[in-house]
Amino acid sequence: MVLLDQVSKRYGRGPWVLRDLTLEVSGLTVLTGANGTGKSTLLKIAAGVLKPTSGRVSRPASIGYVPERFPSDVKMSASAYLAHMGRIRRAAANDVLERLGFVGSMTAPMSELSKGNAQKVALAQAFLASDVLVLDEPWTGLDASAAAELVSLLEERTALVSDHEGHLASATRVDLAGGHVTIDLSRVSALDALEALEGVRSVQARGSSVRVVVAPDRSDQVLAEALRLGCSVRSVR
Amino acid sequence: MISLVRYLAVDVFRGQRYLAPLLVFLGVMGMLFSSDAGQPLEAYSGSSALLYPIAAWMAVVVATSEDVVRREITVVSAGGWSRVLTAAALVSVLLALAMALLAAVWPVVTNPHPYTAGDFFVGLAAHTGCALLGVGVGLMFARPVFDSIGRTVLAVFAVVVLTYPLGRATPLGWVLDALGHNRASLSLLGTVAVGVALVSAAVVAGVRRA
Repeated sequence: MVLLDQVSKRYGRGPWVLRDLTLEVSGLTVLTGANGTGKSTLLKIAAGVLKPTSGRVSRPASIGYVPERFPSDVKMSASAYLAHMGRIRRAAANDVLERLGFVGSMTAPMSELSKGNAQKVALAQAFLASDVLVLDEPWTGLDASAAAELVSLLEERTALVSDHEGHLASATRVDLAGGHVTIDLSRVSALDALEALEGVRSVQARGSSVRVVVAPDRSDQVLAEALRLGCSVRSVR
Repeated sequence: MISLVRYLAVDVFRGQRYLAPLLVFLGVMGMLFSSDAGQPLEAYSGSSALLYPIAAWMAVVVATSEDVVRREITVVSAGGWSRVLTAAALVSVLLALAMALLAAVWPVVTNPHPYTAGDFFVGLAAHTGCALLGVGVGLMFARPVFDSIGRTVLAVFAVVVLTYPLGRATPLGWVLDALGHNRASLSLLGTVAVGVALVSAAVVAGVRRA
């Protein structure tokens, strides 16, 4: 099981990508949401690639991870890569490549594989993990039969999967709030107070005003707090 | 950890980017010892000074051999950044030690002056210290501490270039001073210790930055 507790993430001093997100992954869970809502960031945090800016993450020892885009310039062959990954994990080889219908050369450099076959290798290494799978758009490049086979492979596992295309209709769905509300305020000195509010993704000073980007479900609270801080509202979009 | 070191080493060798620093190292070594290079320990000073930037370059090659995305997969497979960065440091150190050993043996074979076992081990310690310093500097400014290869190259180049004029104020200066005066010195071991500390600090910095 993967547990994210009150997880927030921002890159450097940039806008908040995730704010106070709590999520428990104990079965097959699908992550949905518009572009830029933090799905890939959340998956990286769940997998252990990124540290959250705040909040706690607990995860099992053996996680399999497939990123959004598997690199296309790998000089190692598929068989050597999977053998190395198996040794690193101390895991036995699996039959995922065969089940997904891999038809490329196992001994040629992976840079010579088609996009779909390289994706199958990426999936095969992830399925070496014994506990949880964290997959970012795993259907990228797969043909219809491989996509269907991946669905049946996933139905047997605990996994957190981002899925734009609705392949996993029966899974638990978590929707990262799509869209945002932009509030323009007269300039206030308490930028930090606004920034700390739940749901606020970014606060930018713009000349004599301040632009606050906020999750739709928190816009009312942020507006109320802005008024309490003594600033006037110029526009809400 | 052994499997991880092996995987990263294989990846470095397949990538062939290691060839550039290795060929520069071999070429300059050939030039340094193409004629009488002087007294045994003195002869080691040129190759020690050479090994420092070469080891830094090689460490950058090792640290950046996998692209960012594949490194993420390796981190998850291996169970965390600390294991992967430790393994990358071990690969860099092993490569640097291999070059240190070669540099210590080279003049024994080619220099007309006779070498005692003591001279050889002093030379080996000197090269090991310089190589570890180089690995530490390379890893300290490579991914994930610095994300951009341009900034990495600039930072490593600046540090390496600035180290030489500082003379005895740096551990590299301790080594070059001792060898230049054809004497063994405990400062050689001090350089090795500083090198080990620098490599460890680079791994810690990488884990914190990742």
